[in-house]
Amino acid sequence: MTYSSLVLAATAPLWRTIDQPPTLKLLVAALGLAFIVGELWWFLAPHGSGVEARRGLDGRQEVTITVDGGYDPPRIRVVAGQPLRLIFHRIDPSSCVAQVIFPDFQRSLDLPLEATTSIDLLPAEPGLYPFHCGMNMVRGLLEVVAA
Amino acid sequence: MTIASQTPPCCHNDIGPAPVEAMERELAQERTLLRRQFTVAAVLTSLVLLASLGPMVGGHHRTLGPPWFSSPWTQLLLTTPVLFWCGRSFFTGAWSALRQHSADMNTLVAAGTGIAWLTSLLVTVFPQVLVAEGLPVDVYYETAAVIITLVLLGRLLEARARGQTSEAIRHLLQLQPPTARVLRQGQPVQIPVSLVAVGDQIVVRPGEKVPVDGVLEEGQSWVEEAMLTGEATPVAKAVGDSVIGASLNRSGSFTFRVTRVGGDTVLAQIVELVRQAQSSRTQVQRLADQVVGWFVPVVIALAVAAFVVWFLISGNAVLAMLFLVSVLVIACPCALGLATPTSIMVASGKGAENGLIFRSAEALETAGKLRTVVLDKTGTLTLGQPEVTDFERLPAARLPIDALLALTAALESRSEHPLAEAIVAYARSRCQDSAWPGVQDFEAVAGRGVRGQVGGHSVVVGTPRWLAELAIDMVPLAPLMAPLEAKACSVATVVVDGNLEACFGISDPPKPSSVAAIAALRRLGLEVVMLSGDARRSAEAVAAQVGIERVIAEVRPADKAAVVRQLQEQGEGPVAMVGDGINDAPALAQADIGIAMGTGTDVAIAASDITLISGNLAGVAAAIDLSRQTMANIRQNLFFAFAYNVAGIPIAAGLLFPLTGWLLNPMIAGAAMAFSSVSVVTNALRLRRYRPTPLPLASR
Repeated sequence: MTYSSLVLAATAPLWRTIDQPPTLKLLVAALGLAFIVGELWWFLAPHGSGVEARRGLDGRQEVTITVDGGYDPPRIRVVAGQPLRLIFHRIDPSSCVAQVIFPDFQRSLDLPLEATTSIDLLPAEPGLYPFHCGMNMVRGLLEVVAA
Repeated sequence: MTIASQTPPCCHNDIGPAPVEAMERELAQERTLLRRQFTVAAVLTSLVLLASLGPMVGGHHRTLGPPWFSSPWTQLLLTTPVLFWCGRSFFTGAWSALRQHSADMNTLVAAGTGIAWLTSLLVTVFPQVLVAEGLPVDVYYETAAVIITLVLLGRLLEARARGQTSEAIRHLLQLQPPTARVLRQGQPVQIPVSLVAVGDQIVVRPGEKVPVDGVLEEGQSWVEEAMLTGEATPVAKAVGDSVIGASLNRSGSFTFRVTRVGGDTVLAQIVELVRQAQSSRTQVQRLADQVVGWFVPVVIALAVAAFVVWFLISGNAVLAMLFLVSVLVIACPCALGLATPTSIMVASGKGAENGLIFRSAEALETAGKLRTVVLDKTGTLTLGQPEVTDFERLPAARLPIDALLALTAALESRSEHPLAEAIVAYARSRCQDSAWPGVQDFEAVAGRGVRGQVGGHSVVVGTPRWLAELAIDMVPLAPLMAPLEAKACSVATVVVDGNLEACFGISDPPKPSSVAAIAALRRLGLEVVMLSGDARRSAEAVAAQVGIERVIAEVRPADKAAVVRQLQEQGEGPVAMVGDGINDAPALAQADIGIAMGTGTDVAIAASDITLISGNLAGVAAAIDLSRQTMANIRQNLFFAFAYNVAGIPIAAGLLFPLTGWLLNPMIAGAAMAFSSVSVVTNALRLRRYRPTPLPLASR
């Protein structure tokens, strides 16, 4: 690598144009396009419907969420007007996921590593209520449906 | 391991939830690990850089060390631990996220450096491929290593800075002393504060902190509440006064009876309110949230698109690969994600330090946009301790003074209105309780007065306006009323058996701080309106004393919310309502921002968006000022984060390359990314320097 390429600079000698066969160009374009479509589908398209909360002994809805690079399950379906306990188990060492925030409920929860922590919420109205990590990079969704 | 649930504590008095310490420990461990990883990465990366620079010195193929030092194999050996030991969290994090259909900064860093490392590995193992294409046999190990090192440095700085954003909550939690000296069989016993129960008696010596909330039963002292209220001046405490947990006893010893523990204490409620505010989001944040959601997948798509386009243009896969890596590593979703929450964290904590409690991020946002501030007169602008200053009998009065006072006081003693209490206190100073007759058919009409049967007489005490509505001839009162109202007195008139007997002039002097506080609001360009149930002339007299020009008088408690709504409909909003009484609650809720004085009722505080713990009106201007500074800070952060990404990504994708021949080196791109989130957090931390403008000493 040349020294000049360390900074914003003209680096023409290295970046010479190479004639490539049209079929190769076509193949690269097709593969690139396919990758983009596949990648956008993987990250942005909805994957499956929400996991339903289980019923606790006292009638409370309960869901256990594993925090490992994301929330597993990322989408949870619960019934409106009934108490909900979300139990988080964090195994991801990244401090980015050390806190989970429920902005619509004005609640947050610290998630110590390798520990199980819970938060009680009362989703009163049907609707979609996102939750996310402190930086809003890792996201989950509470899907509250009418009873 | 199971950590305590976040449900409200019921049987222990520790106000900080158990995970706080665990989180602190974890943060410290993370910083230590990051420091170690960064140090190793920096050493190895320096060697890789030296090795890669060797062949370029003077443009000749001379090496800085022995030939093996510059060999691609040596660079591979030095770079591999940088990526897969120092930077392993990027790869494991990216893999975990990928499995969860999620993508974050780890994805970008891992993809960018991984591609640079893999390309270099292929070149190292199969150099003949590049030779056949007529390209120099260059490797990009140093690019991958430098990016990992810089991002680690950025993460280390960011972890330090992020720790500081939540220090206000940590300070608040540390205010509560760990133990309390409780009286057991008359003997003081030191016990953990978590075991203190309501009803316990606690001894506090000079220099000690009050452990929980209570009422002083023995002794007196000066107590400093600055850490909770922001008020620097110590407050005198005597028997019957409330003391709040975490305040500092400055002089005498005293004993108090515990009234609130655990989650019920003022300190715990402040901590909870600050936490709530920090967990909410502003309107402006919703935009950033939406962008962050699809940011990384779109950046990956753009990077691949840049690769394809540059390959189609140049046919040069190495060039295309460098554009791909640059786009991946320059994009910084963290700056966008951090822009608003860090400012909110710092500002709400800073507010709490100064006795300004914001209920939500939205309150913090709206307070800065306020145009009109409506202030309730009694208790907000005035001391809220009205006293009878004048008692005038009318010429047509039939009853003797003592009998009249007894009838009036007997009726008013059934009311809880502050003016009624003033009349009762006045009557008590003139005659004995035992002389007061019984009351039947008592009726209180909100904002107007009271009536009932007292000792066989029909007695009505109320505003002149109400009595006029009751068809009482008020003409004889006119000469007495004018001078009373000019003195800013509220006038209460007494009618017995339909005959106008007397009137009281009741004065509630303005708080010493009101004048300066109103001036501070005016300096912020706000329209200040005083709301009062008093007659116009007496309300205007109070307003003139404190420097308010606009008065809405003769407003009944039930109509306060309607007045606020009217101001909003007239386009004078956003409107703030400042009040402290139960009857202010609907108006506080109706206003865009309800500001409750901490000295007021719990109902008013519950209905408010901002609570001024000290009860000092100067807090209104301070809260609005803090809000404006915070929103300016958030706008700077968002502008920087958006502008950085909007400008950086096209440059990294090579948009300028055809025009200028400029290529953004991936290492520079990585450095820019690493420091963009650091700069956002650092900018937010500037809010820690916020100090409310102090009022002149004379007005405190």
